[in-house]
Amino acid sequence: MKNNERNKPKIVWLQAITCNGNTHSFLSANVNRLKLFLNSFDLIYHPSLTTDILLDDLLKKDEEIDFLLVEGAISSNKEFFQLSNQTTNEILKKLVLKSKYLIAVGSCASYGGVHKKFEQNNNILGLQEALFEHDTSTLKHPIVNLTGCPVHPEWIFQTLFSLKEYKQIALDEKGRPKEIYSYLAHHGCTRNEYFEWKVEANSFGLKEGCLFYEQGCRGPMTHSNCNKILWNDVNSKTRAGMPCIGCTEFDFPRNNMLETKKNIGIPDEVPLGVSKRAYLSIAGVAKTFKIDRLNEKIIK
Amino acid sequence: MKTVDIVERIEGEAKLVCQWNKEKISDVKIQFLNFRGFEFILKDKPALDALVYTPRICGICGQAHLKATVEALENIYKNHNEELILTKKAKLLREIGLNIEIIDSHIKWFYMFIMPDIVKFSQNNLAEYTPLKGKKWLEASMIASETIKSLALIGGQWPHTSYMIPGGVMSDPTLLDLISMQNYMDQAIIFFENSLVGIKLDNYLDFKKSEDLYKVKGDLKDFITISFENEFEKIGKSYNRHLVLGDSLSFEKGKINRKLTKNISYENIEELTLNSFDIDKSKISKEAYTWSKTALYSNNFYETGPLSRAIVQNRDFVNDIHRKYKDSMFTRILARMDELGFLLFKTKELIKQIDINEDSFIKPKVSLSDFKYGFGQSAVEACRGSLYHDIEIENGIISKYDVITPTVWNLGPGIEDKLSTSQKAIIGTDSLAKAKLILRSFDVCSVCTTH
Repeated sequence: MKNNERNKPKIVWLQAITCNGNTHSFLSANVNRLKLFLNSFDLIYHPSLTTDILLDDLLKKDEEIDFLLVEGAISSNKEFFQLSNQTTNEILKKLVLKSKYLIAVGSCASYGGVHKKFEQNNNILGLQEALFEHDTSTLKHPIVNLTGCPVHPEWIFQTLFSLKEYKQIALDEKGRPKEIYSYLAHHGCTRNEYFEWKVEANSFGLKEGCLFYEQGCRGPMTHSNCNKILWNDVNSKTRAGMPCIGCTEFDFPRNNMLETKKNIGIPDEVPLGVSKRAYLSIAGVAKTFKIDRLNEKIIK
Repeated sequence: MKTVDIVERIEGEAKLVCQWNKEKISDVKIQFLNFRGFEFILKDKPALDALVYTPRICGICGQAHLKATVEALENIYKNHNEELILTKKAKLLREIGLNIEIIDSHIKWFYMFIMPDIVKFSQNNLAEYTPLKGKKWLEASMIASETIKSLALIGGQWPHTSYMIPGGVMSDPTLLDLISMQNYMDQAIIFFENSLVGIKLDNYLDFKKSEDLYKVKGDLKDFITISFENEFEKIGKSYNRHLVLGDSLSFEKGKINRKLTKNISYENIEELTLNSFDIDKSKISKEAYTWSKTALYSNNFYETGPLSRAIVQNRDFVNDIHRKYKDSMFTRILARMDELGFLLFKTKELIKQIDINEDSFIKPKVSLSDFKYGFGQSAVEACRGSLYHDIEIENGIISKYDVITPTVWNLGPGIEDKLSTSQKAIIGTDSLAKAKLILRSFDVCSVCTTH
């Protein structure tokens, strides 16, 4: 048993400027996946959970950390934010030097997220921005950004198990694992047929219709697999009827997230990779097909 | 003697600075030294975007913030005498969502935040409660993640969904969705019966007297036994003044200051900053030591949370325990777990009341941006107690947003000669370990406190 414990990769979960949403997303993971994770890794520190060591001990110890997971944005402004009498920036830098892999858990750790909107503190940063090249010189891998507000627990598991097994994971230009973020939130949405035939949801609160035209849905331009790996095992925002708000993207949160910005009745932004002209042509053609089934209630 | 102790595992971090006299704590300051500025972030944002922002004030009680926001926005319509129709189905789906979040939080709180510390006071080896490894910890995390699926069915996901919107909710569950929600609730009820209290929920809900405590089996019995062995029923007492601001199908508003009054007016709420930091440095007093503000009702400190809700609502079992042990640490913790049973029963009943043929959403006739100026307030009961939102908008843009969280009521600093609720509860305690437990008995959330 003790030997086995020694062989498990050590994980430290640091909470910086956060709402703890990623922690609670993680604690809501599929229970079998969580058990396998706890059997396969040694979570030596998490501030919300009772682990054997405290942050102060961790900073003093010489012990090597395999995976440093950071939830929340980073700041060197001590007036607004401090942990154990230090800034999150100071703590981060000390811990990174002990770590092999650095993973940003959530959009705040990746890019600053919601907390970056607190402009009175003009020093709120994501990990990449907060660290200089020499700070990360001991890392064996580029920083992995697991964006999302919050991040899906399965994305954390898949990333950790992959890095444990294969030592590396392919990242996109924003530092996100390609195999998670090459998909769009749109893929697998149960409203896709409505999107194809340009049938709008007439209002909120309906099973029928696409949320892209009126309700601000960012599914066709948001990199994430929310509709492939469902939330809490059972659902996604768009399946339920809530528009995707693009929380895995660099620019989250945007303004007017629950309505579609339009120009002369046409969505200002069109699906990723499609030219506006092509989109208009195809939308026009699709609309000429008046498919009764799609204009009726699903369950009559 | 002065002790500074950093308290982790409270959803963020707090510092307890204690003064000691004759081996008892004679004064205490609870310091929250982190500030995220949500009220500043919300300023100048489009009104509906608040539905996306405020759940992110807190990863644990995001649905409470969402419901408070949507009801504050709807209050703007009401203040303009602009009719806004909300179906019973929409009201139910909102309240059920919030209740499920509270159920989830109570389970996690007991097994992840309370019992690991409580068992340290036991003579017995209770390794089953060991975090991340113990059988009971794992079982609790399993049931919490199963329970929250019932909220994901109507909200799309948890945490951080914004499925409530002025006029209703965004989702339209089927009958099968409702049955699945009932199933997840049933699983949680089985956990409550088999693991937490060791008896049937119906029998538990029939408890009326404090003597019924001896009928409790299961994990709650471990808590009760350890509590009486260590006299937890004698510590952690505060003013015994209680406040419930939120009114719903599950809870009743009211306050107790010696006697019970059901008449609550938001006008009596006051937020003070005498001992709080300010982002405008010129306004900071010399006494400031925390980012938390002070919340008062009619110029008095009140406790808020499950204990307050149970006694304002006259729920017999907790009422009688409270009569005997007052607002002790024991009563406070027990009331929270009692509320778990109450809400499991209640929420199942509410799910049954949904008529799927009703509309989920009825679009308001006018948009918030049509109002040149608007203001609205709301209060909901969150897992930790009463949550209050106060909003002002100009041409659909937020000009002011004020949030008072339950933890500000309970854990904000005292002012002048008045101790705050939690300060009063901690003073007189003879050990730091107990002081930390008393602090935790309020279900501390640092991120909420210093939003």
